[in-house]
Amino acid sequence: MFLTKKHLSRRTVLRGIGASVALPLLDSMVGAQTPARSVAPKTRFAAFYIPHGATMDKWTPAAEGAGFEYTEILKPLEQFRERITVVSGLAHPYVAGAGGADVSAGANHTRAAAVFLTGSVPQRGAQAHLGISADQVAAQHIGQDTPLPSLELSIEESVLACEASFSCAYRNSISWKSPTQPLPMQSNPRLVFEKLFGDGATAAERRGRRQDTRSLLDSVMAQLPSLQRDLPAGDKRRLDQYLEDVREIERRIQRAEASARQDVTLPDVPAGVPPTFAEHVKLMMDLQVLAFRSDITRVSTLMLARELSGAVFPETTIRDPFHNLSHHSNDRGNMDRFAILNLYHMTKFAYFVLKLKETPDGDGSLLDHSLVLYGSSLSDGNQHNFSPLPIVLAGGASGALKGGRHVRFPKDTHMSNLLLAMLDKLGARLDSFGDSTEMLSL
Amino acid sequence: MKSILATAATVMALGATMTAQAPDAAFLQQYCVTCHNDRVKAGALTLASLDVTAVDGHVEVWEKVVRKLRTGMMPPEGVPKPAAAARAAFTGALEAALDRAAARRPDPGTPALHRLNRAEYANAVRDLLALDVDVAALLPPDDSAAGFDNIADVLGVSPALIEGYAAAAASISRRAIGSSTIGLDRTTYRMPGDVSQEAHVDGLPLGTRGGFVITHTFPLDAEYDLQVGQAGGARLGGPPGAGPRTEDLYVTLDGVRITLQGRGATRLKVAAGPHTIAAASVVRSHAAGADGVFHVETRTPGITQVTIAGPFNPTGPGDTPSRRRLLVCTPSSAADELTCARTILSTLATRAFRRPVAPSSAELDTFLEFYRRGRGSLVALKPNGEGGFEFGIERAVARILVDPQFLFRFEREPARVAPGAAYRVTDLELASRLSFFLWSSVPDDELLGVAAKGTLSAPATLERQVRRMLADPKAEALVTNFAAQWLYLRELQNAKPDTPEFDGNLRQSFQRETELLFRAILREDRSIVDLLDGGFTFVDERLARHYGIPGIRGSQMRRIELPPDSPRRGLLGQGSILTVTSAANRTSPVQRGKWVLENVLGAPPPQPPPGVETNIDGDASKAKPVSLRQRMEQHRANAACASCHRIMDPIGFALENFDHAGKWRTTDGQTPVDATGVMVDGTRLDGVASLRRALAAKPDLFAGVAVEKMLTYALGRALRAQDMPSVRAVTRAAAPGRYTFSSLVLGVVKTPQFQMRTKAGEL
Repeated sequence: MFLTKKHLSRRTVLRGIGASVALPLLDSMVGAQTPARSVAPKTRFAAFYIPHGATMDKWTPAAEGAGFEYTEILKPLEQFRERITVVSGLAHPYVAGAGGADVSAGANHTRAAAVFLTGSVPQRGAQAHLGISADQVAAQHIGQDTPLPSLELSIEESVLACEASFSCAYRNSISWKSPTQPLPMQSNPRLVFEKLFGDGATAAERRGRRQDTRSLLDSVMAQLPSLQRDLPAGDKRRLDQYLEDVREIERRIQRAEASARQDVTLPDVPAGVPPTFAEHVKLMMDLQVLAFRSDITRVSTLMLARELSGAVFPETTIRDPFHNLSHHSNDRGNMDRFAILNLYHMTKFAYFVLKLKETPDGDGSLLDHSLVLYGSSLSDGNQHNFSPLPIVLAGGASGALKGGRHVRFPKDTHMSNLLLAMLDKLGARLDSFGDSTEMLSL
Repeated sequence: MKSILATAATVMALGATMTAQAPDAAFLQQYCVTCHNDRVKAGALTLASLDVTAVDGHVEVWEKVVRKLRTGMMPPEGVPKPAAAARAAFTGALEAALDRAAARRPDPGTPALHRLNRAEYANAVRDLLALDVDVAALLPPDDSAAGFDNIADVLGVSPALIEGYAAAAASISRRAIGSSTIGLDRTTYRMPGDVSQEAHVDGLPLGTRGGFVITHTFPLDAEYDLQVGQAGGARLGGPPGAGPRTEDLYVTLDGVRITLQGRGATRLKVAAGPHTIAAASVVRSHAAGADGVFHVETRTPGITQVTIAGPFNPTGPGDTPSRRRLLVCTPSSAADELTCARTILSTLATRAFRRPVAPSSAELDTFLEFYRRGRGSLVALKPNGEGGFEFGIERAVARILVDPQFLFRFEREPARVAPGAAYRVTDLELASRLSFFLWSSVPDDELLGVAAKGTLSAPATLERQVRRMLADPKAEALVTNFAAQWLYLRELQNAKPDTPEFDGNLRQSFQRETELLFRAILREDRSIVDLLDGGFTFVDERLARHYGIPGIRGSQMRRIELPPDSPRRGLLGQGSILTVTSAANRTSPVQRGKWVLENVLGAPPPQPPPGVETNIDGDASKAKPVSLRQRMEQHRANAACASCHRIMDPIGFALENFDHAGKWRTTDGQTPVDATGVMVDGTRLDGVASLRRALAAKPDLFAGVAVEKMLTYALGRALRAQDMPSVRAVTRAAAPGRYTFSSLVLGVVKTPQFQMRTKAGEL
């Protein structure tokens, strides 16, 4: 369901000041042409992050191999059994800082999301310093032929107040283009929509505006070298980065012009952030699948919540805020109630997997041609520990991943070994990634 | 170079009362080195090999020592403590030594290249083009560090940002000029779900309830469809799902009532520019309890949304504030056009780049090229051949808005200065520093004019400009950006205390109260210490009821005096702070204590050490008759926890009479509230009044924190140990006038950090 409403910020409500640049009516954007399919399947990559770990004894299946019994939390995925791979025994030691030394510190929350796809140490200090994330490595390999190399989404807005000495970037993004470039994760579906499909009421208008944008950026690129004069070296580097990013957008516009497809029927433009978590997640996942299906991007990440999130999920029977309940004090009742939240989030993920399965793609479905990671960098939220992690994969990776199994690796096997293996299946053959020690065989 | 050093000396002379006496090494040996030596290394710190009489080169360590001593955190309990006078003498001498070291070798720092953050971008567009934009819908969110979102280090760039800038520039330039290419837009303003609409809302006509007022900028003279969504709730006695009848609505356009055509869209002719639309429900029944019944059944009957779609049948760009601001001339003939374009674009470029750009200058060529292309473009031409000029301007405006000279605040390094040496920034750079500090925006024409003449840095001129800027309405940015982040007000948006007492209306009243208190201090040039213990606050009926203050009727926030014994005096009694430092379902004495330590006393507690269990909530679901306080006492029995919690917790406990939404209480569940405790310096506490007294008795500590926060925000970078002498100098200089707001601002502006830069070393 696409909402066609704009959320009024709380500040504007009662006294009312606030104008906005409004959204175009996109009814005329709906195309009705027949698909022009490319031949070889293109593998898509997606990663979903949940904070605070999980009630592990209700997550990890008892048996290994093919015939394992689905646990309470994983149950919603059972319907896709042949395309599901549960991976147990993994650990992300950098969640506890360099050397994994900071065993149960509160700072582990600050680090956890950042470590998830990077396997790198979040450095303290005002300037964030981490490592490139697996999705961005993937984008370098499979994302260069599509209009967008990757798409980063979140449900919650950025946090502004963070633990002293850590940049907020660690909690705000799991996607890092380089050690110092966290990619902003967009939570507003309307902006996601415009990013995917462009601004304008008709195809001609969108084309015209794309060309206008190109000429603006061309001109800025020509000007940038002259602005470097008499700047400190650090500022010059920042401008170099800026130039690189401008080029990147140029390339995207070119690709968008070349590949503008008419066969995907566009829904109404979503107008803002839906009022409930359930609607919001669904809308964001719809947009991800739409982006995959129309080949606008092949790489996407989504954070279902941020570390330390105090969200309450009223669709469940649980009234406790998310983070509070993760501190269950080893009380069985609390752990069981936390598992209900874990299950609830899993049903959202199952919706995404279902959408992939229902979307035809070449000779199969999008699910056949996707490699999807879902999990957390924390194990037991109560202790802030990082082993064993709740991790599950979905999709066939265009034949590279044999599903239908529960694979258990030795305790404390680095999660980066899995990331390395996943990248390998996407055709990105690296010697190592993050703190990997070897490639997992899956 | 001479003038550079002279400046540093003048500025540092603020800290005039320095004693030349070296700090007493024996004091250090006796009270510090017994634990902080090479063998014990308490807190991973050894002072044994450092010479306290020669602080250069180790200022970071010594500033830490100063902070621990000043705030009474060291020496800890259980070891011999120095007499207060000896402690003060040592601390004073150490500070003086550090201040002298800083004066000898000024190092104002090398802030990274600043990018405008979202708030600054929106304000700049407002000031350049008289256009309000919803920046959150245009640009990706900024990262923040050191408590603020204007920290240069983390204002990075990304492809998403470039994309946002390009799209924003196109959209803003179209709207500024009222372009004929503006297509159909639809904007929906929605009422948040947690706002109740039983009562009258400030700014709406009397006799109505709920609803809201919006200012919408209509892009063209044209027709627009207006549609007001109504509550999904039941009418009294009617079936659920049926909203009130349309005649129950009260809708105005610029204060004039308009009648809507049924429940669908109503088409209205509206002139281009900003207009105010108000929509509310008419109060029909005055029967007591009627609205209460509504509330019980439907939560929030009333207005759910206002949708505006258009333009239809546009007749022209109209006469808007944006066009008046931008089109400073009108060509009378085709021959005039280029001259006029030069005037318009040089005026805009001067304001946007914050330095003079002459109409004849060659750097206009880039923008004129865009102008020419737009001028000749066929899309813009009307059948009669008109319209090309303005389309040309529109394209050139878009180009200026994506120019890095607008989006970044360049500060260039003079070639003749040696790497590592300090030098003055230019007057034009100083003007930008001032305007982004005080207005979160670009300089106005007056400030730019003074700077271009090269007289801004003259002390008298500078002070005059600062005072003028503080008096300008744009200084409101200090409330919405500086204070809102310092005082955690932005966190209030995420706070959802689990109590039926709380809803969106109360959230808004909380926020307004704290903002209005801060604004009063800014506007009336009051002491910053009034934030802690001011004799007044601001309430509306709803907030007054929450606070138990009788006799306040109506939805307007108004100033009320508070008696000396009122629990609501100062921030410590305000719902905003008390709520954001609570968990969703209970108070958090730890968070409250931590907030006070960080934001009032300037003594941020360290993180919990590794391996420590930090959770105390787990048993909450079990019906153990254990109060929060008892649970916390248990956990403080652990020595590792106690070292910090004995500092934090008593402060938090003193606020226990306020529940997790800031409501006054005398019992917590079944247990009577116990608000007693002992602060680390021995002060006995028995509730908020005693805590407030204790904190207000040390105004220099709070003022010092205020200066630290203000300097961080003003510089847009995290402070370093080398900056602390300037913090002390500003605080000391403001003490005689009891820390008035302007004295802090002027002090910050006069620091070498604000007026100078250190040239970066070779990399």
